[in-house]
Amino acid sequence: MTDALGLTRLLKRFDRTVAVDHIDLSVPTGSFFGLVGPNGAGKTTTLSMAVGLLRPDAGTARILGVDVWEDPSRAKALVGVLPDGMSLPERLTGAELLTYLGLLRGLPAATVAARVDELLTVLELADARNRLVIDYSAGMRKKIGLAAALLHAPKLLVLDEPFEAVDPVSAATIRTILQRFVAAGGAVVLSSHVMALVEQLCSHVAVISRGRVVAAGPVAQVRGETSLEEAFVHIVGGRTGGTEGLSWLES
Amino acid sequence: MVGVLIRMKWRVLRHSLRGKEAVLTVGGAILGLLAAVLTVLVAAADFPTPGVDTDVLAGLLLLWTLGWLFAPLFTGGGDETLRPEHFALLPFTPRQLAAGLLGAAFLGVPAIVTALAFCALVVHAAGSLPAVVVAVLALPLQLALAVLLSRVAMAGLGAALQSRRGRDLGVLLAALVGVMVFFAQALVQTLGPVVVDGDSPALTAVLRWVPSGWGPVAVDAAGRGEWPLVLAALAGLVVLGGGLLAVWGVLLHRRTTRVPVNVGPSARGSGSVARRLPATPVGAVVAKELRTWFRDPRRRVALLSAVIVALVASVPPALQGEGGGGIPFTGLVVMTVGCLLAGNLYGMDGSALWLTLVTPEAAAADVRGRQLAWLLLITPVAAVLVVVLPALTEPATYPWVLALAPALAGGGSGLVVLLSVFTAYPLPDQRANPFSAGNNPGLLRVLLQLAITLLLAVVALPVVAVVWLGSGVAPLEWLGVPTGVAVGVLCWWWWGRIAARRLAERGPELLAVVAKHV
Repeated sequence: MTDALGLTRLLKRFDRTVAVDHIDLSVPTGSFFGLVGPNGAGKTTTLSMAVGLLRPDAGTARILGVDVWEDPSRAKALVGVLPDGMSLPERLTGAELLTYLGLLRGLPAATVAARVDELLTVLELADARNRLVIDYSAGMRKKIGLAAALLHAPKLLVLDEPFEAVDPVSAATIRTILQRFVAAGGAVVLSSHVMALVEQLCSHVAVISRGRVVAAGPVAQVRGETSLEEAFVHIVGGRTGGTEGLSWLES
Repeated sequence: MVGVLIRMKWRVLRHSLRGKEAVLTVGGAILGLLAAVLTVLVAAADFPTPGVDTDVLAGLLLLWTLGWLFAPLFTGGGDETLRPEHFALLPFTPRQLAAGLLGAAFLGVPAIVTALAFCALVVHAAGSLPAVVVAVLALPLQLALAVLLSRVAMAGLGAALQSRRGRDLGVLLAALVGVMVFFAQALVQTLGPVVVDGDSPALTAVLRWVPSGWGPVAVDAAGRGEWPLVLAALAGLVVLGGGLLAVWGVLLHRRTTRVPVNVGPSARGSGSVARRLPATPVGAVVAKELRTWFRDPRRRVALLSAVIVALVASVPPALQGEGGGGIPFTGLVVMTVGCLLAGNLYGMDGSALWLTLVTPEAAAADVRGRQLAWLLLITPVAAVLVVVLPALTEPATYPWVLALAPALAGGGSGLVVLLSVFTAYPLPDQRANPFSAGNNPGLLRVLLQLAITLLLAVVALPVVAVVWLGSGVAPLEWLGVPTGVAVGVLCWWWWGRIAARRLAERGPELLAVVAKHV
């Protein structure tokens, strides 16, 4: 059975630093895949190359067996993407944005209208449908981005930091939708800093450090007997500081 | 406290003096030095009419002060090396913070250059010891006044700019000031000689009564021994400076304690047009583009500027009787300038390009949609000018204008996407301060843009040839019109195809360029 996402020997250099160092990764279909790693480990770079937003220097990325860089049209139809920190067409309203994207993908107008209404309602953006995206809060931006990623009914979702700066209520909404997506047979790849969330949500996890995959597999296997957080610190070879000095604080 | 802030600014300046930044700073410093030397030389010059030297000096100081007031609009919101937010949590009163930031403001190329220019006061006083003493006192006061005026104006604007509505207004304001520079230049050219000849008592009085003239007035009065006037002028500078410092303190306090509010929906514009567009990929892009053109102030400025620049370029020369032949062609200039000013569509959209890149087969629809939206916006304006202006001025130009118009419309719509794809450069985030210009495309890119724009001349060539060959022969000279239409359609299709291919093949690279933070 083909992987939902398969990366082979993916490489990216920026000047002299190697951001992603020959990464191999396979995301099984039907899995909820968490990508964790310290800041600057190469998570965003990897995901950008996997979905066609950043050209790799070497290696291949396949979505359900389709090469993203050889056959981009077929690959892009299969995947929904939510990058972190990217702009949206800021001067469109939420409803206009989704309608534009649906029509741009060549969906029939009636289908687009129905899906836009449904997505806005489920994501609790119905009240904000006529507000400009530039006026949206961080959580609303993530939700409208998720709606844009879901609009064309993809088989794989690739989400970069979908819970960053999102309030607990919106986070719960996003989580429920992602779980339903996986339950219906889709696969989700997300990156996050929050170990507890990955532990609770994901079936599989990969730890990236300095551009390499240092551990990957089912969550239970990666974390072993400890919590994922402890396992993470152990795997990336970090040492939690904060115990020395500062005697003047204890007056 | 002031000492710490000055040292801090010195550190930051030294760290930022690297590479391209350093070249810009040194270049600016050299230009500023030239202006300062020029100011001192003019102040040292002899004028035949008595009293005129003081008027001229007051005029020069006024120009420098206005420079401080308006320059931040172009250079990106003034000097933000030390931001008041950095100090918001420290136990300072607003006045202390303002005084500290003022001290730090004196350290920097603009302030030092201005101080040198204001040495003109001392030069002006030369020959009388009391006057020199007064000049030495007036110099820092006058400099502080210029710096404070600039800071208070920007802080006041900044307070208004914190909401998105305010920011949108700010972009329009900056564009307006940009256009005003044309008029200011004309004003100096007309009024300069009047001041030098001492012809207008009213103008002289204004130059001396505005605060930038108080320093020269004090120095002048000291030379003549009129001490009450000296005292009044210097005291005026001190009081005004103190007042501005207090206001700045209040504004700083407000800036660091209030959060921006965004009010209500403002999803207006082009709804009726957008709803009538077909529900196809290209139609969706046209609708999105039209809405963005109407709602994004940066894009509105580009369109408005095209019309204003075209009018400024063709009307005043005609009024002065030089080359009145320009007016019939204003519509054509609008299309040319509109194409050049709009030629960074992907830069204006920034990293939102990712949505196009993750959509299969979207490149062609995106490029064609942008072309059509540009045509829908620019053609009506240009068409009115093309049809009306020759009739009002020189009807004999109709064969030329009507033949060139479709060629340039098509060529422009092709060129606007060529420019956008091949010479894109990043603009500041739409959610940032509109005055943080950063829209510095770099010299090479500007040259490339101009070179590509020359393609429009190539478009015009066959049309001009046909009209010229047929000129005077009634039916033949009109052959230019179908030629123009053919050329226009060809360029729209051909250049759009090149741009679409480039976008499809090099999309990720374009995204990397326009998503850069500036």
